[in-house]
Amino acid sequence: MTLSKPQADAARAHLSAVLIRTGQEDRDAFRELYALTQAKLFGITLRICGNAQAAEDVLHDVYLTIWKRAGAWEPGRASPITWLATIARNRAIDWQRAQTLRRAAPLEDAPEIADPTPTAETLLLADESTRRLHGCLDGLDAQHRDVIRTAFFDGVTYAELAIRRAVPLGTMKSWVRRGLARLKDCLGA
Amino acid sequence: MPDRDPLAGEFALGLLEGEDRAAALRRVLAEPDFAADVEWWRTQFAALFDLWPEHDAPPHLVARIEASLDAVRRAEATGTVSAIPVRRSPWPWLAAASSAVAACLLVFIAVEPRESPPVSQPIPAARPSSVLVAMLGDAKSPVAAVFDPATGALRVAAGPGVPDARVAQLWVIGGDGVPHALGLLAAQPTVLAPAGVDRRRIVAGATLAISVEPLGGSPTGLPTGPVVATGVVARV
Repeated sequence: MTLSKPQADAARAHLSAVLIRTGQEDRDAFRELYALTQAKLFGITLRICGNAQAAEDVLHDVYLTIWKRAGAWEPGRASPITWLATIARNRAIDWQRAQTLRRAAPLEDAPEIADPTPTAETLLLADESTRRLHGCLDGLDAQHRDVIRTAFFDGVTYAELAIRRAVPLGTMKSWVRRGLARLKDCLGA
Repeated sequence: MPDRDPLAGEFALGLLEGEDRAAALRRVLAEPDFAADVEWWRTQFAALFDLWPEHDAPPHLVARIEASLDAVRRAEATGTVSAIPVRRSPWPWLAAASSAVAACLLVFIAVEPRESPPVSQPIPAARPSSVLVAMLGDAKSPVAAVFDPATGALRVAAGPGVPDARVAQLWVIGGDGVPHALGLLAAQPTVLAPAGVDRRRIVAGATLAISVEPLGGSPTGLPTGPVVATGVVARV
């Protein structure tokens, strides 16, 4: 299902309102927030954790955090879904870092990012900053773009990334740093 | 903004681990410009969340979350946290993550400044009722913090001196690497009663930090002023 731009704006405004009410300790609002966002946030924890049970445990903790911290969300600073997704991603990465066994191979039962490049339709509906990021990523060397995307979606460390791409750690760091430097220039930081 | 540090982007992506991650964490706490860079990168990468495929969570999870919220509410009402019936506790790995970060911080802190007292490795074992302590700052003017998990009381000795119209604010940094406000400190000893989630962040290996903030505390939810003291929580 693809939303039109006015529909997407309305959905975002609605989610903002629900998040604000959650911050006022409104349990009904929290339930609605959960219903609206669980699939996105579980998608995040599932991919990064790599197994359903860990992803569920992390998501449990993520929603307790959201309940506790919703009052601190500032509408002007981040979109509601960005704020929520960031909590989920960071928590999943924490979990992953706490695992003693390092995964060198891609995850078995995590869904692949089917198409990591946005469709024309997605871009049409995206806001200015999203279009800018995609435009700038497209301008990177394919190798640099690929490792930055993998770092974001898989939440992996430099060491894992180097193993997966079968290059020395130093090479991997140099790819990412060059990519980030180009990205920074392009984004006009 | 002039030159953005590549480290900020690497930290925002989550590429760092071990000592590098701990070092970046220290800079987030100590350098507002660096913290702003990390925030800037996070905001940029957030656009990629649109592409993240959705996947429905197991249907039973919502009941499990509601039960935990109910338990937290009951525990806060009765002043105890021991009764929380989490079916399979998510906290052990949180504690493990905190300890890993803290162990790195510990190394970092131990080799950096003056003669720090010898600190033993935090013991990750159970004994949930024992008292936790942290010494914040240097040996000359340390600020002692004592946390009793049984009562949830966090006693903090007199906070550091602050300029007029400023206040000292206490933070805990656990496994998520994000400072969470615990309360404001006064010139005399203070007893804080952190609630719910924040209370459970105070585990052996977590870091406590004091920053200097505008009256009323940081307006952003993260430290905005200089970090004047940090210390690692340890079991006694």
